[in-house]
Amino acid sequence: MSGPALSLVEVTAGYGNNPIVRAFSSDLAAGSITTLIGGNGAGKSTLLRAIYGTNRFFSGRILFRGEPVERLPPWRRLRLGIGFVPQGRCNFPAMSVAENLKMGCYTLPAAAHAAAIERVIGLFPILRERWRIEAGNLSGGEQQVLEMAMVLLLEPSLLLLDEPSLGLSPRMQGDVFATVQRIAASGVTVLVVEQNVRGALMISDRALVMEQGRKFMEGPADEVRNDPRIRQAYLGGNIQHTAA
Amino acid sequence: MSVDPLYLVQLTLNGITLGLLYALIAVGLALIFGVMEIINFAHGELLMVGAFAMSFALPAMGLLYWPSVAVAILATMIAGLVIYETLLVRLRPEEFERSILVTLGVSIIVLHVVQYLFTANPRLVDTQYGFDGIQIGAIRITFTRIIGALAAAVAFGLLYVVLRHTQFGRAMRAIAQNREAALMVGIRPRVVARNAVVLAAGLCGLAGAALAPLQPVTPGMGQFLIFKAFALVIIGGLGNIPGAIVAALGLGLVESWIGGFFEIAWQEGAVFVLMIAVLLLRPDGIFKRGAMRLG
Repeated sequence: MSGPALSLVEVTAGYGNNPIVRAFSSDLAAGSITTLIGGNGAGKSTLLRAIYGTNRFFSGRILFRGEPVERLPPWRRLRLGIGFVPQGRCNFPAMSVAENLKMGCYTLPAAAHAAAIERVIGLFPILRERWRIEAGNLSGGEQQVLEMAMVLLLEPSLLLLDEPSLGLSPRMQGDVFATVQRIAASGVTVLVVEQNVRGALMISDRALVMEQGRKFMEGPADEVRNDPRIRQAYLGGNIQHTAA
Repeated sequence: MSVDPLYLVQLTLNGITLGLLYALIAVGLALIFGVMEIINFAHGELLMVGAFAMSFALPAMGLLYWPSVAVAILATMIAGLVIYETLLVRLRPEEFERSILVTLGVSIIVLHVVQYLFTANPRLVDTQYGFDGIQIGAIRITFTRIIGALAAAVAFGLLYVVLRHTQFGRAMRAIAQNREAALMVGIRPRVVARNAVVLAAGLCGLAGAALAPLQPVTPGMGQFLIFKAFALVIIGGLGNIPGAIVAALGLGLVESWIGGFFEIAWQEGAVFVLMIAVLLLRPDGIFKRGAMRLG
């Protein structure tokens, strides 16, 4: 397969009657990691939700492996291979880790559950240790790992991650980034929104910069990282010095 | 004042049966609330439909109890499916006020259509068991009362297994616990909501069928039940299923005792006095709230 894994063509999406992301276009190459950068309210999460189909889509095209998916409900997109891990505590808090993983298998035939769960436990052995614990009683980092595992059960070929390192210790953040790299190395295309821009850019091939719902900049991750505007706005650069 | 212990035992046994039937209604209400975040004010009418279906099925089935119960449950599930597919499916989770009007409207319409078709005359329902029962000393309990209680208890056992051990039931708890995570794993909220409404209707159908031989069947029999069931769901901790069952059993007992020792008027008010007392002392209900907990 030579075409891009995901093509966004003039995507306009939002909530209710308010388009937030406007005319956003980009292509993601298969197996690449792309970081989506932007300030609060720039529309990063809105764009991820639009790709998975959990908000209002106004216009444009979303082509997944060449197929238009913009009018499909989320469960259909999931079956096609788009996985989405929303921001923060997106699990079933009053269910055990085991039950959460079972729910992650919801779209798989019953015969495939055991093997899929075995596989993600191989990726995240911590889950076996927490097997009977309710997800709501796990630490923030463990919950993040659980949520990623729940989506990886289905072996998506496109993984959308919204703030996977939010609220984690620096060491846990490093673990999450390493995991994302490992997933991408197996051929999965990753689009990640991260508050830790520096860390995310380190593992990314490309970067997309959003401002007020529109694409502001796009390019290889190290190019974007070295752009003075990006350094100043997102990398906690020398704001005091340059402001003078 | 001396209390005849046998009388007290009799009242207690009656209270348990009543409580289990209340629990069937309250659990269905909690199930629908958990999945759809709406209160189904037509819930009492589903019970009434079950009781009416029982009253028609019994003579048609030669007074055989179990086939008639099956017919009543099926009829009520179909009624639930029709209500869901025509009306509830259009409600969005944030439209709570609209859901009150829609379900209250359904309740009033169903009540009056049944009254128009079958009049408000109480229907007395006879079964193959008649008034037979078990006699222990001076205590007598009819078979229909015992069977009603046992059927309710078995239904809760099955419900527990379904909610805990099947993907069908787990998906209901999943939506109740985290709507976005449910979408993340590919659950279709409408399918699960439909399942929950039909399942809850089936529980109402069982309650109505079990109640029909125990009390006169009238179009209005479910009318006040919904408010009681609503109170029970709140007392039990909104969305907590065992909580609702325990609250319902407690109410059945309290009502039965009050009815046995005081004027009957107090019986109807008991649940609301309890609800106010519980909410004053423990604003979140007696049990841990929400998330469709099973334990």
